Amino acid sequence: MSHFLDYAIPGVPYGCDFALMAVGLVLTFRATGVFNLAFGAQAFTGAFIFDLLVTAHHVNQWVAFMVAVLVVSPLLGLAFDRFLFRVIPTASTTAKVVTALGLLIAIPQAIPIIFRNTTSLQTTGFWLDPGHVYLNLAGSPVNGGQLSTTVVTLAVAAALVAMLRFTAFGLEMRAVVESRRLAQLEGINSKRTAAWAWVLSSVLAGLAGVLMLPLSGGNLVPSQPLQFTTLLVFGLTAAAVASVRSIPIALVAGIGLGILQNLITGYLPNSSILSAQNVKEALPFAVLAGVLLFNRELRTIEVSSDPLAACDPPPPLPAVAIRDPRLSVPMTWGFRLVVVGFLVSAATWVPDYWVTALASGLVLSVIFLSITLITGMGGWLSLCQASFAGLGAFTAGELAAHLNLPVLLGALVGALAAATTGAVIALVAARLSGLLLALFTLAFALFADGLLFNLSWLGGGNTVVVPRPQIGPVDFSRGDRNFLGLAFVVLVVCAILVKLIQRGTTGMVLAALRGSPTAAASLGISMLRQRVIIFTLSAGMAGLGGALYGSLLVRVSSLSYLYVYSLAFVVVVITTGSRSVEGAVNAGMSYAVLLLILQTYFPHYTGLEPILFAFGAMTYAAHPEGIVEYQKTRWLNRVARALQALDARRARTAGPDPAGPQPATVGGDISGA
Amino acid sequence: MPEPDGERPLLEVRSISIHFGGIQALADVSFQVAPGEAVALVGPNGAGKTTVFNCISGVSRPDTGSVRLDGHPIDHLSAARRARLGIKRTFQRLEVFPELTVRDHFLVADRVSRGDGRLWRDLLNMGRPTTAELEAAVRVAGVVGLPDALDTPVAALTLGRCRLVELGRALAGRPRLLLADEPSSGLDVTETAELAAVLRAVQRDEGVTIVLVEHDLDMVAEVVDRAVVLDSGHVIAAGPLSQVIADPVVRRAYLGRTA
Repeated sequence: MSHFLDYAIPGVPYGCDFALMAVGLVLTFRATGVFNLAFGAQAFTGAFIFDLLVTAHHVNQWVAFMVAVLVVSPLLGLAFDRFLFRVIPTASTTAKVVTALGLLIAIPQAIPIIFRNTTSLQTTGFWLDPGHVYLNLAGSPVNGGQLSTTVVTLAVAAALVAMLRFTAFGLEMRAVVESRRLAQLEGINSKRTAAWAWVLSSVLAGLAGVLMLPLSGGNLVPSQPLQFTTLLVFGLTAAAVASVRSIPIALVAGIGLGILQNLITGYLPNSSILSAQNVKEALPFAVLAGVLLFNRELRTIEVSSDPLAACDPPPPLPAVAIRDPRLSVPMTWGFRLVVVGFLVSAATWVPDYWVTALASGLVLSVIFLSITLITGMGGWLSLCQASFAGLGAFTAGELAAHLNLPVLLGALVGALAAATTGAVIALVAARLSGLLLALFTLAFALFADGLLFNLSWLGGGNTVVVPRPQIGPVDFSRGDRNFLGLAFVVLVVCAILVKLIQRGTTGMVLAALRGSPTAAASLGISMLRQRVIIFTLSAGMAGLGGALYGSLLVRVSSLSYLYVYSLAFVVVVITTGSRSVEGAVNAGMSYAVLLLILQTYFPHYTGLEPILFAFGAMTYAAHPEGIVEYQKTRWLNRVARALQALDARRARTAGPDPAGPQPATVGGDISGA
Repeated sequence: MPEPDGERPLLEVRSISIHFGGIQALADVSFQVAPGEAVALVGPNGAGKTTVFNCISGVSRPDTGSVRLDGHPIDHLSAARRARLGIKRTFQRLEVFPELTVRDHFLVADRVSRGDGRLWRDLLNMGRPTTAELEAAVRVAGVVGLPDALDTPVAALTLGRCRLVELGRALAGRPRLLLADEPSSGLDVTETAELAAVLRAVQRDEGVTIVLVEHDLDMVAEVVDRAVVLDSGHVIAAGPLSQVIADPVVRRAYLGRTA
């Protein structure tokens, strides 16, 4: 028993930190309907500002706390509300999640660049001295850092519960989350209510970040700010246990997770697959996945829909639907010329380092096409595409190393392995949709990072060599120009497959499912069947792209396919356009080219490329078709207007039609049909 | 409970009950519908009519009781499986596919009902609509009065025309049993009369069995032969429409008085 308490008690402060995150997530969701994945970024900001003021500028810690938690954090929350989420209050869950993802990626990358500080965050204590033991609980010493975290968390949670239950403001918050527009019609200032919710939750995030500092032992590094995402994952697991409804349950669940994590460290052996480290890494996955699958109440969080949702405008039409038929021929030939120009240039005069970047862009485009399939066409947000890519790469590498299997064959086997995994995920998560499905895929990505990629037959956490292929006399290891050709062929094949699916019955069925799952089921369309098909194809394509990417780099490790890349990939594709093949290719090429430009000309600003895309993702709610598609639509509209003006001028020049004016028709001529 | 004469009923609802939280939405509801028959399910708001449709189509599962099609229980089947057995429906709250055109609505319903449209056909570029499929879509559009809107995205149609798309989509899926949930909602008097004629024609000429939920009793009288009246989740009357309307219990449920 004493051993148990020895391990359990030190886990409580960590748990309190998770609980603060969970409580903040619940509060934001209840008041604004946003499942704020940017919470990790907000926590990081609070911690960074506090640490910067105390350690770099030697500001008094209370002043630093006031600035970081009570000034900067609420301002950040207000900025989120004012400039982002207030603009998209009635956007879909996916749009809100993507916007939050953009923030999660952009902010932690941007802040160290802005403040030119990338040193470790120190173990700065807040309130009580972390180096001093204040009391002993059942023989376990409790230092100042642990004590202050626990006391502050419990006090804040109690105050929040009281506010939500017993004040008019709490009642207003509950009304606003049911329907912001209905609440407004009843005279509630829903904008003000939501803004306050953002302020409060942002304070909680900042507080969680500051309180994490003394617990981290100096291991939080701005150059890897997504460590705070792990904190977020524990927080959202606790919030999921509480069905994103109950603050007390979120609090208890957070503390419980902290204790559980410490008990694992204490009790499990340090060798074998079930080592303490492995299981500790996989803990968020296991608990999050379990809660998502078995907490039935959680599934109802997306069921209630806004009664005024019918007021929303329909989704924008794809650019191709509004294209003037006269533009078809010039655009088709223009596209062919660009492709030929690209290939000829890459084969002849483009410098080697550009060839490598372009090859990388083509390979990334294959991975990004998998997002076109699953998110653009299926409408399901997958946050584990990089894990599928890693599965493909490690399988190909290991098969080449141990069985001497040709790497292209290995890549196909890797794609098959990824496809099978995708099918299993689709089947296991059959009852989940929307946000919950996205979180489940995130849980799988964490599982892959923490456990799967540490298995000895999948790299064992070490560097894996994925050799360049050789087909007959063509050796793809001699420079990247040959490899670029191979990547181009694979991309074209994948693009054609996606186009065929898009144009066929599957594409129509998926559009039906996106439009109304209920009506689709009433026609006999099985959501599960379609989901398994698309998850399988998408995961397979990501696996193939991942294997090619591994082969391009030759040496890859689990760090090459971390879950944060899954988040970044989704953000990048959604920014450019997730519904079209062009969007995925634009995303792949621009990501690779932007990376090269930054590395070559702005070496001090590495890490800037995800920021640019992440800020772009924040436009998703306004332009769900993607920036490129949106611009294309604008351009086509402009050309169509110009052509119409030209037609009108010609008609005026030619004089009146002797047959008289023709009656307007609503649709097209159906006689041909 | 009056039953269809002679033959085995196509649809049999046996003592279904369902509650949502503390609310008893349906209590021991039973009725039968013969093949080719048109039956109305009427009652005041909140009577449980749409809930009955949800239980038949598989959107909701009753707590107790059973739904049978052709004498076989279908309670264990998903909504999609039931649709493939021929149960098609329209919705009280409009459910269309905003990204698809009217023609696509009919095509997708047609293909799914035939079990066509496998992935391998798409991958072999065999997913384009055939002439027969296009003709079928034109025919359905003609039946529901949308021949001019086939290539229009439904997002660009009015509410009333979207209702017609819903009906056309259900018809394109070759229904054996059509559950029409307030199809005249959003239509004007003329359109309602035309819709009633379409439903009657579908029932008489194509032998489609219809269960109609509708508040417009004039339209109900145009389409159905028999009615089942629900109030607060209970069946309070069933029989020929004229008889049911004259029933004092029904009048009290609708009007709060017997006269």
